[in-house]
Amino acid sequence: MKDAKEKALEKVEHSEPELTHEGREYTPLTDICEKEDMILLRCDMPGVGDGQIDIRLENNELEIVGKQSADTPEGMDLMMGEYQTGVFRRKFSIPQLIDRDKIHARLHDGVLDVELPKADQAKPRKIQISTGG
Amino acid sequence: MYWRNPSAWSPFEELRSLQREMNRLFDGYERGTALSRFPALNVWGNNERVVVTAELPGLEIDDLDISVVHNQLTIKGERQREPVAEDVICHRSERNAGKFVRTVRLPFAVENDKVAAKYEKGVLTIDLPRSETTKPKRIEIKTS
Repeated sequence: MKDAKEKALEKVEHSEPELTHEGREYTPLTDICEKEDMILLRCDMPGVGDGQIDIRLENNELEIVGKQSADTPEGMDLMMGEYQTGVFRRKFSIPQLIDRDKIHARLHDGVLDVELPKADQAKPRKIQISTGG
Repeated sequence: MYWRNPSAWSPFEELRSLQREMNRLFDGYERGTALSRFPALNVWGNNERVVVTAELPGLEIDDLDISVVHNQLTIKGERQREPVAEDVICHRSERNAGKFVRTVRLPFAVENDKVAAKYEKGVLTIDLPRSETTKPKRIEIKTS
């Protein structure tokens, strides 16, 4: 049994980036669909308001962060708590070339719709086959 | 998951275990989705009212049915599956759709007419004021 002093001097190993904010991080359930000219993402992010979403596309990685508003009624005790509020965060690897200027996101009733239009080079181009001879 | 604040005495302590039992009783009543406890609920209370919140993103108000009988709250609803166009390929489909029913027993009877519900940002909040007849009344002690 290690005594308290020994434990205090032990170096603690950490591999994950730690949270610097209150509340846990949650992974929003996401549907990913692809059309010929764009990629569509749809995330469930209940309790997140318009100004609380951050979407970043960097080096083919799309990161979506949404902060939930804590719905704590004043002057009341929590009698049964089956869920907590926190921050939604998820990273996606998007290998296709995306036209960044045309990325469009819409938040409606706690559902975030993200449209990532493919850059022209990424769209499939029909190659004409010429028949000859 | 249950939260306990050890430094506060909650008058609802006894009722919690009763509530747990009632939830178990009603969980098997109707199974709409694979999860037997959907949606997750938070129940807040004091002596005057109860507030129930649920995370229900992407619902149409018409697909929600909230009813109260005495001290039982039932939340019923359906999330519609969005139709997928022909030229769309879905790589991932994590968001579920379908019907759900959840019944919660409240710590006291509520005024049915004064129950208010709002749906904002995908969160359903139901405010249930306590029924006047069940409110504890202070009894005057007469001294002669």
